[in-house]
Amino acid sequence: MKRSSTERINLVSLAANVSYDASTFNYYNNIRVLLIPSFNLTNIADIKTHDNVMGNAAAETQLMSSIGLIEKDLNGDTLWVWCYPSVRAELREVLLNKCCLTQDSQGLHTFVFSQFCRTWYYISTVEVQEPTALNKVTHFSVVVTAKDFNPEKYAAFCRVLCRMYMKQGSPVKMMEGFIAVLTKGICKSDENGSFLIKDYDVRKAYLAGSVKDVVAQFGMETIILYTAVMLKKRIVVHHPRVEALLEFTRALPALTWHRKDWSILHPYVSLTDWELENLKTCTGYVAGFVDPEVSNRSELFDVFVNLQDREITISQNAKDAMAMGKLHKEIGTLIVQSAGDADRTEGQVIKDISVKTREILASLASLVEECENSKITLDTLKQCHFPPATENFLFHLAAAEQLLKI
Amino acid sequence: MEEVDKILIHSLRQTGTDVGKDVQSVKHFTSELIVEAVVRCLRVIDSTLGSGLSPSLPPGMSARFRVGMSLAQACQDLGYKGEIGYQTFLYSNEPEIRSLLMFLVEKLPKESAEAMDQPAGKSAILQKSIAAQIKAQLSIPWLPPSCRLPLLSKTQNPGSWHSFHSHNLSLPYSLKVPGKKPLKEEMDYRKDFLPPVTAQPSQHASVPASLLEQHAGELSAAQEWENEWNSQGLLSRLTPEEYRSRKRARLQKRIEEQLRTATQPRPDTLGVHRSGSDLTDLLQSFGGSTVAGDILSKGTRFTHTEKFTFTQEPEKAAQQMAAVASSLPSSHQSEEDLLASLQRQLQQLSLSLEEVGGDMRQLTVSVHQVSDELKQKELSNAEKEDSVRVKKQTIDLLPNAEDNLVKLQALVEGSAKRVVNLATQWENHRAPLIDEHRRLKMLCSNREVESSRKLSEIKELHDKIRQSAEEAKKKEGLYKQLITEFESLAKDVNRSAYTMKILEIVGNIRKQKEEITKILSETKDLQKEINSLTGKLDRTFAVTDELVFKDAKKDESVRKSYKYLAALHENCTQLIQTIEDTGTIMREIRDLEEQIETENGKKTVSNLEKILEDYKAIRQENSVLAAKIRDA
Repeated sequence: MKRSSTERINLVSLAANVSYDASTFNYYNNIRVLLIPSFNLTNIADIKTHDNVMGNAAAETQLMSSIGLIEKDLNGDTLWVWCYPSVRAELREVLLNKCCLTQDSQGLHTFVFSQFCRTWYYISTVEVQEPTALNKVTHFSVVVTAKDFNPEKYAAFCRVLCRMYMKQGSPVKMMEGFIAVLTKGICKSDENGSFLIKDYDVRKAYLAGSVKDVVAQFGMETIILYTAVMLKKRIVVHHPRVEALLEFTRALPALTWHRKDWSILHPYVSLTDWELENLKTCTGYVAGFVDPEVSNRSELFDVFVNLQDREITISQNAKDAMAMGKLHKEIGTLIVQSAGDADRTEGQVIKDISVKTREILASLASLVEECENSKITLDTLKQCHFPPATENFLFHLAAAEQLLKI
Repeated sequence: MEEVDKILIHSLRQTGTDVGKDVQSVKHFTSELIVEAVVRCLRVIDSTLGSGLSPSLPPGMSARFRVGMSLAQACQDLGYKGEIGYQTFLYSNEPEIRSLLMFLVEKLPKESAEAMDQPAGKSAILQKSIAAQIKAQLSIPWLPPSCRLPLLSKTQNPGSWHSFHSHNLSLPYSLKVPGKKPLKEEMDYRKDFLPPVTAQPSQHASVPASLLEQHAGELSAAQEWENEWNSQGLLSRLTPEEYRSRKRARLQKRIEEQLRTATQPRPDTLGVHRSGSDLTDLLQSFGGSTVAGDILSKGTRFTHTEKFTFTQEPEKAAQQMAAVASSLPSSHQSEEDLLASLQRQLQQLSLSLEEVGGDMRQLTVSVHQVSDELKQKELSNAEKEDSVRVKKQTIDLLPNAEDNLVKLQALVEGSAKRVVNLATQWENHRAPLIDEHRRLKMLCSNREVESSRKLSEIKELHDKIRQSAEEAKKKEGLYKQLITEFESLAKDVNRSAYTMKILEIVGNIRKQKEEITKILSETKDLQKEINSLTGKLDRTFAVTDELVFKDAKKDESVRKSYKYLAALHENCTQLIQTIEDTGTIMREIRDLEEQIETENGKKTVSNLEKILEDYKAIRQENSVLAAKIRDA
């Protein structure tokens, strides 16, 4: 009796907390995930009643945080017309800025994505062509923000939402779809079947970037990018086309597969105060810029990649840490060989690099084990009598991997 | 010919020839008068040509001859085609003189004619000379008295001047801030204490100067403002006050930037820093008076750094100098020791510097690591906190799992439905609002387009107004000019008379022409009649001839009559021929008579006689001169 009353209180408080945003559904999903094993113990038949889709989807659905709508009307104004649930004002500002509808000169970018304050956003833009319910609107963009990096998933979802909105002319249908994905992991689309969230694994997204292309463009110089990513340096990539930036930058975190850290990726950044401020809070990053002005902002980068001209520049203050030696040549040759092999898939190339990285890290770890407190110092490294470039690299790598004794 | 002569005489009078009142036509011209008229005309037409000629006829025959020849030569130079010689002037005949004078009068330049038609009295001459003098003085540039050459000081007023020295006048109104109301104290001051404008300058002499200056300043300011407002202000779509304030801010910023770059300290000149900081102080105070706060803050930061770098350095330098001075050895012996020790010190220092540098690098790396770690930890903490919170609540729900799951599912479904419901409701509100917004925006943009169109129209109108004003001004000038011209012309009463006369002449000519055509047509009629008669005669003769010829074969008497007929016809033809010949001869005679008349008009014989006499006279003169020479 006592227990049931507390439960009721919990439920009531939970209901009161419902602010009609994604967190409610997150509670629900979490609870369900946690509850499933308990079913398992009590009644095996129960599991079968639950469909598999729900179980799998549950772990991921909570990553989506909002959905928004930007419209460009006949007056030429671009308005943030609708969102669910709410979007922070500054994030909204950034999203509007990123949406190609506010940029007069540039063409239509059907799909762009980037990161702001650890929130990934995906913007899909469509031109309204045939007469629909949207009679005053020429273009519209659907914006989805989420906690995870998965462009393919959200591109597909955005496409579904766009089609819905184009057809219905009302965001209500879109919201229904959004909630369906949040709660069930599935969104029924009228054409081309349904959108299933379980089809889009995050590993696939990580592997989607092509290291082979990077090597094809930069050859032996890829080692600079590798070193920079390994040492958590700040890399700035410039190309006038957004699509090229998106494609290129997402491959770079794959060079340090052992970290699986895609939060360093900022594929599409503008030179606005908000975004630069956000960028400054990150230690190392891979940031893409369309604005050529970025090449003059040396305070933003350690390594500058001019993608259009295929040039890599190391800034003066990072030259010390980025000094190259024999070890680098070895790794570079490995990367070029592996990527140059036509038979090898992207995954295999990444694996080759990863194996080599692990080797280095293992040797570093073996050094660490000797020291007290599992931390290394420069003196320990010096005792090993590595070549100076290797020593320098290992020292900085240790710092990047947080193995340095302070 | 009377009218022509009158016009000629009038024109000649205008050139300055003294034609007497009793002279009514060219016929009455004496040789003296002709020479004078021709010389005056030549002078007006071409002053170089006429300057060598004297308007009066000398008494000596040879001199007269020379004058005549040179006049004839001048006329031919001007392009006179007719026959001309010295005798034309001395022994004039009317048609020649008339044609010559007409030629010369036509050659007279129009302006000079205009200039010449001023009344040539004494007062006119005086006025003319005054005008010329003023014109000459105006063409000389004005120089301040101290720079004047003695030559100029004659023409430019050498009297006592008051130098153009102006004072600032204080006036009870202000153009500069039109919208601003004066303070009460200011009003009181103006009412009770402000002296009148005439008493404000320290010297009475500078009152007009100050007033002029003040006026010119205000006028030009107003004009400039108006120009600018019309050209740029209107397009900026601001109210005049806003526009002014914006412009002021812009200018202030620019001045500040200029000053700042000017005061940018140069590393080699330490002594300047005093004045530099003065300037920055000034800048600061200048910035303080502006409205913009950010400028102020910038200024202060700037001055801080400025002061910092520049007050420190001299002190430091002085200290170092003192240290060096104190460490200077009293004797030269210890100098080497000192050098060695200093070198050692230097090495030590560089070593420690390297060490510290290495340490610093290491530490920066560590700092990087730590900050990275911190960030990661913070993030993971936040994530964990979240998951802990969720999990905690989940655990609370676990005990009665099945029930709770059902309840939760129901809750989720319910809230999903509610949310969708709310969204639909919200959509009902949102969609009209968005539509309204777009509608209004459209309206607004339409209005904007309209207003910009109107603005451009206004601008166009402004331009047009300006153009029209300019045109009006131009026309006014033209009008004035024409008025003055007209006034000067109005004195010439003869003009209308001339026109009348010209019209009369034209009328006469027309009448004559009509008469001529009448006579011509009559002549034609006559000719026609003659022709028809001739034809008739021919035909009649032919018929008669045939008839008679037929009968003549039969009858002898008729043959005789036929002969008579033939003879008659022949005689008649001869007669007609003779009459025609007589007519031709008569015409010739008339022509010849006319020619004789004209030749007679030229007084050739008497002229020849006169020339012969001249010749004799010259010969006599020559012989007298020769005798004189011989005597001498």
